[in-house]
Amino acid sequence: MTQTPAAPSPEPQAMPLWRRLLGYIFDVRVLGVLGQIGFILLVVFAVRSISSNFADNAQRLGESQFICRDGSFSYRCAYDFMESESGFDISDTMIDHTNTDPYWRTFYVGVLNTLKVAIFGVILTTLLGTVMGVARLSDNWLISKIALWYVELMRNTPLLIQIFFIYFGVILTAPELNEALQPLGLPLFISRRGLNFPSLQFTSSSAIWIAFLVLGIIQIQVTSVILGRREERTGQPSNRLQTGLIAFMLIAGLGWFVSSAVSDSQGLLVTKASRIRELGDMDKLMLQRTGANHLDDLAAFSEEELDAAAFQICALDDSSSETNLTRQLRKMDIPYRIRRYEVPDKAADNYASGKCEMFVASKTILAAERSTLESPSSHLIISVKEAPIVWSLPAREGLNLVGGGRMRPEFVALLLALVLFYGSNLAEIVRAGILAISKGQNEAARALGLTEGQRLQLIVLPQALRVIIPPGIGVALSLAKDTSLGIAIGFPDMYAVSYTTMNQSGRVLQLFVLIMLMYMLISLAFSVLLNWYNEKIKLVER
Amino acid sequence: MEFEGPAQSFVDEIIIAENVHKWFGEFEALRGVSLRVKPGEVIVILGPSGSGKSTFIRCLNRLEEHQEGRIIMDGIELSHDIRNIQEVRREVGMVFQQFNLFPHLTVLDNITLAPINVRKWTRDHAEEIAMKWLTRVGIPEQAGKYPGQLSGGQQQRVAIARTLSMQPKILLFDEPTSALDPEMIKEVLDVMRDLAKSGYTILAVTHEMGFAREVADRIIFMDAGKIVEVNTPEEFYNNPKEERTKLFLNQILQH
Ligand SMILES: Nc1ncnc2c1ncn2[C@@H]1O[C@H](COP(=O)(O)OP(=O)(O)OP(=O)(O)O)[C@@H](O)[C@H]1O
Ligand SMILES: [Mg+2]
Repeated sequence: MTQTPAAPSPEPQAMPLWRRLLGYIFDVRVLGVLGQIGFILLVVFAVRSISSNFADNAQRLGESQFICRDGSFSYRCAYDFMESESGFDISDTMIDHTNTDPYWRTFYVGVLNTLKVAIFGVILTTLLGTVMGVARLSDNWLISKIALWYVELMRNTPLLIQIFFIYFGVILTAPELNEALQPLGLPLFISRRGLNFPSLQFTSSSAIWIAFLVLGIIQIQVTSVILGRREERTGQPSNRLQTGLIAFMLIAGLGWFVSSAVSDSQGLLVTKASRIRELGDMDKLMLQRTGANHLDDLAAFSEEELDAAAFQICALDDSSSETNLTRQLRKMDIPYRIRRYEVPDKAADNYASGKCEMFVASKTILAAERSTLESPSSHLIISVKEAPIVWSLPAREGLNLVGGGRMRPEFVALLLALVLFYGSNLAEIVRAGILAISKGQNEAARALGLTEGQRLQLIVLPQALRVIIPPGIGVALSLAKDTSLGIAIGFPDMYAVSYTTMNQSGRVLQLFVLIMLMYMLISLAFSVLLNWYNEKIKLVER
Repeated sequence: MEFEGPAQSFVDEIIIAENVHKWFGEFEALRGVSLRVKPGEVIVILGPSGSGKSTFIRCLNRLEEHQEGRIIMDGIELSHDIRNIQEVRREVGMVFQQFNLFPHLTVLDNITLAPINVRKWTRDHAEEIAMKWLTRVGIPEQAGKYPGQLSGGQQQRVAIARTLSMQPKILLFDEPTSALDPEMIKEVLDVMRDLAKSGYTILAVTHEMGFAREVADRIIFMDAGKIVEVNTPEEFYNNPKEERTKLFLNQILQH
């Protein structure tokens, strides 16, 4: 169809008004503007009705919600109540907490617990999801079927039910603490009181060692620069990183010895009459007591004989000085029995009454306690050296387990349920990501002689990641938010702690605002991090 | 432009295929294919769609597994032994119709990936060799780009450089120019022509008659999973022996 410019087009005039209007309305540009106006109106309306509702409720709850310290009322004082004493205990805390702490600290304990579950959860879910996603595509019939059943079972039952099942059906049916299961003889104990596992304990001298480590890291930088300059000058290549790392290890090792040698803060309180002047005297004393020629001979002694001869030691609960001393005693094969007390005074009392012949603690505590004894001059404090970091292994002691770290059953159940559930979601995403890689990519990798492992690691996973990450971010965010289900089994996360606070203080609005803000912050932090990673690995297209 | 040749082979026949059968489930795609190739020979494979050309050359580096018969590449028999398979794949390079470059790696990393991970060369050495091959296929300036930023012809030349950087003795081409626009076909064929002249053993599935006439020592015509005719290019195009070949040539020459 051709049209000369001069020819007037008769059509528009002939068109009735409504048709012209329709023409305007269906113009994509007009539609776009109309749509945006409509959306803004909707948002304004929604915000208005919610906020007026909120204001009504605040009014109804009365001014008492907003009491300031001076007795006046103001919205600015909405959170002043958080400074008052909370009055309740929390079963699982990462930092010190007592029921006399203010609500703020209680809330902080809850936030830390939420973060603990969320961070461990995301890490473990990533591992499990990747393994299961790859396993579903395995050529091995059994492996792929196990992965399939795992995914189907977990995805098709509600998360809350799984949490209940794992908590009541699995963990709480585990044996009591005194009969705790020890898989494969490892220093791991499973009981209905949770999981006891080995942990690292920092001692008073670790600061010195860490200073050495920092020095070592600085040294790597300096070495690299110096060698780089020399390389440029002489043209002789040198292995900068290797030189730096070897020097780093030497410095770290030196630091270990130095910090162990100079550590002088831990001590052992003994009576002068005991004739112990240094730690090395203990083995001679033990030989005298038992009449044995050599400490190795003690292996032949009966339990009762050893009980009678063993050193009786008083210590503080969970103290690194105790872990350190008992480790050294075990090394020397010296039998000992230990009593633990929550507070130094208790331990000192028992030492004074002769229930234990020595008291291990930091020297400052010992000096203070010694001055309260009847005749301080008849007691000695001897030094106990300690390594900057000591392993603390859980071990049976009577009906109890001591040493190491411990996860409470609520934490284990929540973490396990979240990881199993979201692991199955992630496994499907991983599987889809791998399947999205074309056959040609795999063939090219094989034709070049790459092994199957190299193919997976260098070709498939890096490309699959780009498909996996965006929905994977969704999984991580859901997991972080679903930590709030912990309240169902009494895990004191941010929501559970806030819930108790709400019941006690009646400040429902303030707390909900606070909780939602925190969840938003956590989610934002997660997604900023993951989006940054996603942006970094995006494909470059023409 | 003259290419450096491949490493010398110490066998008389670098490819031996004896009575090779291949089934896809019930369907028999190769029905007794036998072929012997001397080092340095250039062979072009022709045949109608679905005749088993791709299947045959893919059996030669175990991208497909044959069920009957024997395949011996440069003295190594292809069996279920993974070590033999890996060794053959190191000696045999393959160029695909769809290039199959790794989109997440730069051109240079595409080329150095296998030499570093399979041949265990240092990165410096691998990059030096890679740049040499990129220069030879005429696109050294593209080393830092990603495959998605190149034209089809450039991508295929990168794929060829990637294959050659592993220093193979045998090159398999499966319709390397079929996915290219006409003006790009020439740049790829030029590279292939030079490779053929510098001593590589080549098996190429291609319908490019000019290439076949100029560099092929033999042309193999396949149909329905069998080799129907083996002939010199001259004889094949001017004076084919078999009826089936004549029919096929009539069809493709009509265009
Ligand atoms: N993975 C597979 N599964 C089942 N059948 C297949 C498979 N690959 C190829 N075939 C069949 O085997 C026969 C030979 O296929 P092949 O790809 O070797 O043919 P071709 O000669 O390369 O054809 P073209 O010229 O179209 O590439 C065809 O009938 C094809 O359908
Ligand atoms: Mg084909």
